[in-house]
Parts: sequence; structure tokens; C-alpha cells
Amino acid sequence: MLSDIFSLSFLVSLLASTIRLATPILVPALGQIYTQRAGVLNLSTEGTMLMGAIGGFTAVCATGNLWVGVLTGILSGILFSLIMAWLSVTVRANQVIAAIGLNILAAGLAAYIYRVVFGIRTLPAQIESFSAIHIPVLSDLPVIGPIFFSHNILVYLAFLLVPVTWFVLEKTTFGLKIKAVGEHPRAADSKGVSVSGIRYAAVLIGGAHAGLGGAFMTIAYLNTFTESVIGGRGYIAVSVVIFARFLPRRAMWGALLFGMASALQLRLQALGVAVPSQLLLMLPYLATIVALIFASKKAEMPSAYTVPYSRMER
Amino acid sequence: MNKRLRSAVGQVCGTILMLIVALAVGAVLVAISGNSPAEAYLTMLNGAFGSPQKISEVFVKLIPILLMAFGTSVAFRAKLWNIGASGQFIMGSVAATAVALYVQVPIALRVPLSFAAALVAGALWAGIAGLLKVKFNANEVITTLMLNYIATYFLLYLVNGPMQDPSSDLSQSALVPEEMKLTRLFGTYRLHSGIFLLLIVVVIMLFFWRTSLGYRIDLVGQGRKVATYAGLPVDRTIIITMLISGLLSGLAGWIETFGIQYRILDGIEANYGDISNIIALLGELNPVGIIASALFFAVLLVGGASMQRMTDVPYSVVDVVQGLIIIFVVAKVIFKFRRPSWFRRAGARKEAAKNAQ
Repeated sequence: MLSDIFSLSFLVSLLASTIRLATPILVPALGQIYTQRAGVLNLSTEGTMLMGAIGGFTAVCATGNLWVGVLTGILSGILFSLIMAWLSVTVRANQVIAAIGLNILAAGLAAYIYRVVFGIRTLPAQIESFSAIHIPVLSDLPVIGPIFFSHNILVYLAFLLVPVTWFVLEKTTFGLKIKAVGEHPRAADSKGVSVSGIRYAAVLIGGAHAGLGGAFMTIAYLNTFTESVIGGRGYIAVSVVIFARFLPRRAMWGALLFGMASALQLRLQALGVAVPSQLLLMLPYLATIVALIFASKKAEMPSAYTVPYSRMER
Repeated sequence: MNKRLRSAVGQVCGTILMLIVALAVGAVLVAISGNSPAEAYLTMLNGAFGSPQKISEVFVKLIPILLMAFGTSVAFRAKLWNIGASGQFIMGSVAATAVALYVQVPIALRVPLSFAAALVAGALWAGIAGLLKVKFNANEVITTLMLNYIATYFLLYLVNGPMQDPSSDLSQSALVPEEMKLTRLFGTYRLHSGIFLLLIVVVIMLFFWRTSLGYRIDLVGQGRKVATYAGLPVDRTIIITMLISGLLSGLAGWIETFGIQYRILDGIEANYGDISNIIALLGELNPVGIIASALFFAVLLVGGASMQRMTDVPYSVVDVVQGLIIIFVVAKVIFKFRRPSWFRRAGARKEAAKNAQ
């Protein structure tokens, strides 16, 4: 048994699944970096991902085109996070409560849409999902090939978003405005930056990412929709952001860590280790708690984190 | 006093209006799914009030959701967002069942022992999140939610492994001893003596916010600084708050186990955790409001289940209505924030006019 775990083939398949399973955490986490940097804690990422998952899946079933599914997933995420933006920026509601409500709403909506579109079925609807792209030479390399070059296009796109996020936040005016709004909204306002405009944009960008992450689950990973398809990944993504101290590159490492926790569970189960599967399934959630323990105390939150902004108040 | 009464009436009217709008959206969704909204809602009403047996079912549901909503409200008033009620409920029922099945002491001793075990397990499960909040500043929304997943898988592990009923393949434990079951109050109806425990908790909760502990919890909710200036041991209060919050969910688990299920099984927590969050918020974290909203939700749950059985309407419509209600509750905050300032301005104007004379 132990020799199985330390074998090369186990390691290769573990690392390959780590990268694949990190994707649906990495994408929403990158999106939440924008949102949280602007001072909004969007815990409804979970529900937004679920809307992306059902939106993307339904679109693929209707059109047969995977890219239409990706776009619909992103759009569903944007639309759903618009409610969060309205509640947190315009209504200035408590962000945690708003998110709890949105997650419940999303769970109901997604189940409802699935039921109305697909009816009651004995077998879940299935689709032909994104397949792994074969890169000449690279994919054929031993060890390296299967680990890094055996994935579908969305996985590569997700990791490409890491430098993109860094670039937008660090090298563009827009990124500067986001950070200004999160650190000192009053100062940003006095310089003519629209605090609510930027915050709306940041929440919607986060929603787009979450929608994409959710769509990844249904149209590039599971090929089907279930009500528990997201399984806490939205919350894990939010904690990855805190864990990563709002930095894209660290978020990538965080996502890989959680990807590995999920992958380890899958791989060990496939090996048939003596540990019951239900206990292995706890791994990612335990890892999240442990990560929060280590990260939270040191985390430097944006100064206006979760604080609604109003010109009228001091 | 008159003013207070008027604002209370206004609030109740606003809430009722909101519920009507949510139910109206639900009606649209029912229509889209190709069913008759009138039939759906009539089936629902009939399913909740149609016979004494159905009314008994409403109270059966009311017991866990009201207890858990009280638990949630205790934490929420301290601005501790404990959304882990379902995990705390699971741990409570697991501990209770484990004692009932495996601790070989006389039944008279086993009942209080399992009762204590459920309360302690529920309290500790929430207490973990409280401790992590105090010691490491870990966001309690995330930790309580992660603890929900962990509790769910722990339950699944137990009912498929060490605690599985040896006489069946289902994901459930063996039945608890017959003598430990709570007695049914009305013949074959499922309503059981656990309702008296609920009544005790209701009475306690009605006075809780006037006790010094309740006052301290409220003060922590005003912000750490305020509480610290008031000379409060904030960290200790946070942990105590979480313990009480989890204890109530653990109690709900104990009652559900010995009153209804008589065992632990996969999915025992139903959707109670989410629902208790909504109830607590809809009731504005105030005991009387929570009792009223819990009754509304008990009717919605029992009626919704019967609607699903009798018609082709998907149950998720009920979930959407629940989600809408909570969104409306959140959005109503503007309504509440704006009105006083508007009144104040009018009052201030009058005052200024008086001074000018």
C-alpha cells in the first residue's frame, strides 16, 4: 500500500489532478482579489459559482457549443453578482447577511432552473465537455507531459489569469483606483474617483470570475450538473484570498494547495486505501480551517474592508 | 409609547408586504414550470392546515427550526455570523445517539447523559469557531461553514461505518432504545413531548435579552471597541456566545433524534441550518419576531412538502421564495435607515422654527 503511494505514477496523477482541481478555486479567488481589494467581502461567491455552473451547463445543452457555455457561465456570474453589488454598495447592507441570503437564493434558483429545463430524470443530463489539448512534443514528455500538458484549455486560461490579475491591479489606473477605494474611499472620492462605480465594477469582475469557475465545474470537469457541484469551493476561494493576502501569485499557490487536498482525497480513494472515503472528503475543508488559522492573524485587510461608503457620513 | 406601537405596526405591515411579494414571485415561478399557482398555494395551505395531523406536522417542524433560529440569533446579535447551525445540530444528534446506543447504564441515567452529550457537542462545535475567531481572527462565516461540511462527512462516515445499523444496508444507525423515545402527545400524530422543551426555551429567550449576559452579548454586537470601553471581557463573551448558540442547535438535534428519527441517518439535518438563518433575520433577531417567522416557515416547509407530493411543482420554488425573503429583509435596511433621518429632519425643522419665534 505504502509503496503504491510513493510510486511515480501515483505522484504524476496526483499532481495532474492537483492542477485540474485547483482551477475552480483559482479563478473565483482571482476574481475575489479585485472585489476584496475594493473593500467588499463577497461571501456569495459560492452562490455565484452555482449560477455560473447551471448557466454554463444549460447553454451547452441548448447549443452544443462549449464556448457559448463559458460565456453564459460568465454572464450568469455577472448578473447574479449584480444583486450583491446593489446590496453591498447601493443599499449598504451588511455584506455577510446579504451573502448568506444570496447563497440560499442561488441554491433554490439553480435547482429550479435545472428542474424546469431538464424535468425529472432518472439519469442526470450529460454533455461532451472540453477535452485535453494535445501539445506536440510537450504532452509526450515523460512525467512533465502528463502533469503539466494534459489539461483542457480552460485550465491554461485560468493560470494565465494570474499574471493578468497582477498586471491589472499593479500596473493600470483601474487597479490603482480599486486599491484606493478599498484603502481610503474618502480620499479616492475627493480625487474624483467614483467609489460606487469602482466597487460595482470590482464586484462584477469577481462575479465574472466566479461564474467562469462554476462553469468549469459543469462543462470542463464533471460534465453534468448536481446541486452540490460547487461543494463549498466559493467559500474556499474566499479564504484563499485572505490566506494569500490579496496577492494573485500567492492565491495561485493557495489554490494549488486546496487542489492538492481534493486530489489527494480522489487519488487515495482510487487506490483503495483503508481510510474511509468520507473522512478523506473532509480534507479540503480541514485544510481551509488550518489555512485560516495561519493566515488570518497576519492578514492585512484593506482599511475599508466590508465598510460601506457614504459621502454623508464621517 | 404610541410612537413605538405605530412603528411596530409599520414594521409588521412591511414584513407582511414583503412576504406577499416573495410568494407572488413564487407564483410566477410555479406558472413558468407549467403549473397553476392557485392550485399550488391551495395545496400548500391544505397541506399545512388541512387536518389535525397536518397541524401536528407543522409543530413537529417548528421545534428544530425555532430552536436553531434562536441559537443563530444569539450569535448574530453579537455580530458573530454563525452559519454552522446544521453542523452543530448534526454533532448534537450524533453525540446523543452514541450515548443512547453504546453507554450501558440504566435508561434513567442514559437519558440525561445523552441530553448533556448533545448540548455539549453542539456547543463545542460552535465553540471551535468562536475560539478560532478569538485566537486567530479566523472569519467565523468560513469556519462555521467548513465545520458544517466536516460534520456532514463525519455523520456519513459513522452511518456507513462504525455506527451503521448491522441489520440494514441503509446509511443509518440502529434505533435508540424504545424507552428513550419521546412520547407522542396525540395518539399516532408525530407531535411529541419535545415541544415542552421548546416552550421552556421560548420562555427563557423572551427574557434572555434583559439578563446581564444578554446585555453583554448585545454590547459585543455594538463593536469590539464599545464593549472594551464598557469593561467587558470581549474574547470570553464571544466564546460564551458561540457556545450558547451551538448549544441550542445541539438541543434541536437531541429532540429531533429522540422525538422523530429515533436514530441518526444521512441527511438528518435537512435544510434546517439555512432556514434558521432566514428565520433569525426575518424576525430581526428579536425573540417574538423569530417565533412568528418560525411559524411561517414551518407552514411553508410542511405545505411545500405536500405541494411537492401532490402536484408537479418543483420544491425548489419554496427555496427560491425563502431566498427572496431574505434578500428583501436585507434590502429593507435602507427603508429602516432612511425613515428615522427623514422624521428627524422634519422634527428638527419644527424645533428650529420654534426657536426662531
